[in-house]
Amino acid sequence: MAFAWKAAGITYNRYLAIAARVVRRSLKEGPRLQAERRGEMDLRFAKWQNGKQGENKSLGEANASAMAEQAKAE
Amino acid sequence: MFSRAVRPALSVGNAALARSVVPKSAAQAANYATLREIEGRLKSIKNIEKITKTMKIVASTKLTRAQRAMTESRTYGQTANEVFESAETKALDEKKTLMVICSSDKGLCGGIHSGLSRATRRMLTEHPDYDLAIIGEKCKAQLSRSNAKNIVLSFAGVGKDVPTFADAQAIADQICLLPEEYGSVKILYNKFINAQTYEATPIEAFSEEAITQSANFSAFEIDDEVLGNLREYSLANSLFWALAEGHACEQSARRNAMDNASKNAGDMISRFTILFNRTRQAVITGELVEIITGATASAEQ
Repeated sequence: MAFAWKAAGITYNRYLAIAARVVRRSLKEGPRLQAERRGEMDLRFAKWQNGKQGENKSLGEANASAMAEQAKAE
Repeated sequence: MFSRAVRPALSVGNAALARSVVPKSAAQAANYATLREIEGRLKSIKNIEKITKTMKIVASTKLTRAQRAMTESRTYGQTANEVFESAETKALDEKKTLMVICSSDKGLCGGIHSGLSRATRRMLTEHPDYDLAIIGEKCKAQLSRSNAKNIVLSFAGVGKDVPTFADAQAIADQICLLPEEYGSVKILYNKFINAQTYEATPIEAFSEEAITQSANFSAFEIDDEVLGNLREYSLANSLFWALAEGHACEQSARRNAMDNASKNAGDMISRFTILFNRTRQAVITGELVEIITGATASAEQ
């Protein structure tokens, strides 16, 4: 069994997040605004090497670009 | 926020109290100065009390929301882990272990962040080869001083609101993207026991190998390809649980800390008011004595 999202280089979690976003966006105006707040993610992260903190980057963008790279590799 | 400004003010207030009580027999002229000084301190402590009271109220309202999120996410996480319990999955020891520490960005909430850091350090003395992924600035600052070599990832921007599942998913994805293969992932979080007690507890999230090697694995029918998805998903589930429970603990701890701070400020205010009144009375008495002595002296002439 092959998964379409695996072929696109997307992890299962990302696939779930996208599916959830689609459901939220198709809601009616009132519940949608409330539901969309649950889907917000505004984290930053940094990689560490040998006890030194690297650059602070936005987590969402980094995840997206890493997955795009994986898709290219496959 | 204002933590750095408040703490010295509190300690200075204490020092002023001690200072102004001791030299009772000091020169009369000094009394005017201390009177003004005490008044100033009294005012600043009153302001501090106002602020801590407001913060307490804010924390209590946030706490009810956080606790609801916690109970929901706890049942969610426990149900998600039921599979591994019935499969009797055990962590693999031969491979590296990643520890995820769920703290947050904000302070002023008692010792819950340092409790996590202490638990981490204790585990690191037993297993010095563990890698660390730290969520939240507070534990990052504490652990980067002692165990900077072990840190591979750090996340910031947590703790503004109740953590969402999207947060947990993004963190789980970034952990999955790490180059190293981990035998198991331990998620360290503050377990909410009651409003006063929290305990740093680990939840395990397993690697694919650990799942396939679990004792009761044959009872389940799983395709090999699905297993990776299960691993990613269960990591996100456990992270969500840990984040939500940690958030509830933080709010509850902040409420308690602010409650204590307001109580202490109230104590100081009452002590300072008494001191202020006494000093004022002493000044008035001194003045009266001066006037009367002056009057009697001039009357005798």
